[in-house]
Amino acid sequence: MLTIDNLHVTYGNVVALRGVSLEVGEGEIVAVIGPNGAGKSTLLLTAAGLVRPRTGSVAFDGRSVASLQPEALVASGLSLVPEGRHIFGSLSVAENLALGATVRHDRAEIARDVERVLTMFPVLRDRYRQRSGKLSGGEQQMLAIGRAMLARPRLLLLDEPSLGLAPLVVEQVYAAIQELRRSGVTVLVVEQNASRALAAADRTYVLNTGVVRLTGRSDDIRGTPAFEAAYFGVQAGAAG
Amino acid sequence: MEFLQNAIDAISLGAVYALAALGIGLIFSIMRLINFAHGELIMAGGFTLYTLAGQPLLVLILAALIVTAILALGMERIAFRPLRKANPATLLIASFAVSYLVQHTVLLLYGSRAMGVPFLADLSTSLEFGGLRVPRLQLVTIGVTLLLMGGLFAFFRYSRTGLQMRAAAEDFNMARLVGVRANRVIAFAFAISGGLACMVSFYLVAQTGSVSYKMGVSMVLIAFVSSVVGGMGSIVGAALGGFLVGIISVSLQAYLPVDLRPYRDAFVFLIFILFLFWKPEGLMKTRADRERV
Amino acid sequence: MLANPALRPLQTAAILILVLLGVALMAALAPPAMQRTVVEAMIKLTVVVGLFVFVGNSGVFSFGHVAFMAVGGYMSAVLTLAPARKETLLDLPGFLEALQLPWPVAMIVVVPAVGLIALAVGWPICRLRGIALPMATFAILIITFVVASNWKEVTGGRQALVGLPRYTGLWVAFGGAALAILAAAIYGVTRHSLLLRCSRENEVAAAATGIDVERERLIAFVISAMIVAAGGVLFSHFIGTITANTFYLDLTFVTLTMLVAGGMRSLTGAFVGVALVSIVSELFRTVERGFSVGNVTIAAPPGLQEIALAAILLAILILRPSGLLGDHEVAFTSSSSGSSPAKPEG
Repeated sequence: MLTIDNLHVTYGNVVALRGVSLEVGEGEIVAVIGPNGAGKSTLLLTAAGLVRPRTGSVAFDGRSVASLQPEALVASGLSLVPEGRHIFGSLSVAENLALGATVRHDRAEIARDVERVLTMFPVLRDRYRQRSGKLSGGEQQMLAIGRAMLARPRLLLLDEPSLGLAPLVVEQVYAAIQELRRSGVTVLVVEQNASRALAAADRTYVLNTGVVRLTGRSDDIRGTPAFEAAYFGVQAGAAG
Repeated sequence: MEFLQNAIDAISLGAVYALAALGIGLIFSIMRLINFAHGELIMAGGFTLYTLAGQPLLVLILAALIVTAILALGMERIAFRPLRKANPATLLIASFAVSYLVQHTVLLLYGSRAMGVPFLADLSTSLEFGGLRVPRLQLVTIGVTLLLMGGLFAFFRYSRTGLQMRAAAEDFNMARLVGVRANRVIAFAFAISGGLACMVSFYLVAQTGSVSYKMGVSMVLIAFVSSVVGGMGSIVGAALGGFLVGIISVSLQAYLPVDLRPYRDAFVFLIFILFLFWKPEGLMKTRADRERV
Repeated sequence: MLANPALRPLQTAAILILVLLGVALMAALAPPAMQRTVVEAMIKLTVVVGLFVFVGNSGVFSFGHVAFMAVGGYMSAVLTLAPARKETLLDLPGFLEALQLPWPVAMIVVVPAVGLIALAVGWPICRLRGIALPMATFAILIITFVVASNWKEVTGGRQALVGLPRYTGLWVAFGGAALAILAAAIYGVTRHSLLLRCSRENEVAAAATGIDVERERLIAFVISAMIVAAGGVLFSHFIGTITANTFYLDLTFVTLTMLVAGGMRSLTGAFVGVALVSIVSELFRTVERGFSVGNVTIAAPPGLQEIALAAILLAILILRPSGLLGDHEVAFTSSSSGSSPAKPEG
């Protein structure tokens, strides 16, 4: 569904990604984990069309996204929940959700999907008319995911959904991710919280300093020495 | 009585400033562009009235609105779209260039002398309310401004596009990530800004009865100040700032010693500098000075 | 001899002054009309170099520096006009009316005086952050303009002050521009300019490492205002008259265009920008004056010159946002940041 091939991204003189290739199949949950500064966010921003690669390609449904604007990608079924959530704090919860459905025009269906989000995250129902800037971090994360769901994405990109959240809230967020998958959404999640992501994902990529160091089924790589080495950047005795 | 007279003057002048500041504030909220060339939109409205003088009022108004909207869209397309990722200072310099370019194009076509334009001349008479003389133009200005602001408020509050514009103003990249079409909301903002500028030119032409290629400059400077006072990026703030600056201008005009009255604008800008120390982010704090995604 | 990289600005200044000397020598042999163009360009160069000291090093745009030109110009006018003329044009206190200084003395008085004014104005203003600082400089420009056009007793109000000694010839203008370049370069080798340039890259980080951004900005602001004021003095004594309108938005636009076109982050850029804009202006001025083809005179309507300038500035902003030279400087020793001004890229 998403094919990333030999992606190189630079910001000015800073190299963020150096030849990353990655594949996400229909219906999968795939995790990309790695330490701070590994290039994870850049990977997602590039896939969502907000950052342009220097070389390499990103294909969604077999179509190159190189010429597409982020808003066109949303319309074609790819949504990103960026790091830090970026809810529209001055707008109400209701307005944030309504914006999620910007690319759609089927009013009745939108209303049903809003209802679905509110059922999935009941706290949002309680605060439906409130300014979303007043929500707690966890509530904001739920709103951000709910907002993305309203575009009816087929592929959802999540950037650090557990960042700064209490453990209980993290569980709620990941329960929601599992539920999304059951309803047919493919998920690519980026995390620093390695154990949480490994537990949720079918397959995992370990990204470090802009390069994929390790990839495999999450169950196979969890806790292995190769995983430790890839994640912490220690390779064959040479400290990175 | 004199106070009441001054109050009406202040409100009507404030209304005009608010319209001008709204046009600037709207663009800034979405693009972080302080559009100095907004003054030339005002000027273009005036010159449309001059060029078509003699046509029926409705034709004049529609033509001026169309010209200013098209000019605003043209500025965006040619000058500001390629600079969308530039920093606010570069954008401001670019708008300076656009302003200079449009001004001198008009100078080239129409010459530098101010030219008389009869427009809404019947509004120059005054109504009397028990000793209070209120020019009709002031009443119309206040009425039209309130209507327009109500309309704009409803547009932002209840329409889909309005909601998208508010989202884009708060977090442009995130708005794109939910599917808001960047080019569309920016074009909308410019078209509305052009329309607001046109309203200001109606006022200026009706008030002074003339047009000149520099007619927009002093208004745009006041509009700058107003939108900064209100809080760059806040649309409500821009309107508020406009009224506030209008009130201050009229008060200075009324209560400064006669010797100092010619310096009124110097005092306005001095107060503005002092205001910047008190509230550098303006009355309505926004995310304008913070970074994007 | 000047291999120390910290002293590179002095090398750059030496080269630029040599080039300027070459231009001056050529102009000395040219017809008077051409000479006047060169003199005007050199005065603008003085102003733009002054502007560069603040804008280039701090990265903060100032729309108010032309106000310091005005203040310098008016001060020098008051100090050098003949008492009889002052009596008819102005309404000054007796001792000022009677005073008539030789122009070099007036210059020596005016430049530090403007420095003090800039210190008083800049001290609060440099504390502002973000867009508030450029906005405040804009306000300074407008306030100065309003005061200059109304203060009949001292500035003559809307009436032009005429009869200023017109001493700004080719060599005076050259001296002014050369000194301005030298001053900018000397400032450029000081610790202060280094610290200020750090804050230009990242204001927050610079403040976090203990750089007093406000103080460094203020220092540059004062030096820059003094150089610009000297330019204003030279300009007034070049034209021979002085009016408030001269020092307003148009001149602000032209000087900023010059700075941005060449590259506001380099002294060489300021130089190239002034040269480019002056040449373009002169070309269009010639066209506007009209030229003969056979027995038909073709003249472009007025305004074309300004349109061309605005279009060039826009094109540069869009196609080459850091100006023609970016942050390259000319130098004797070749290095990664060296580049010849004769063949700017793009």
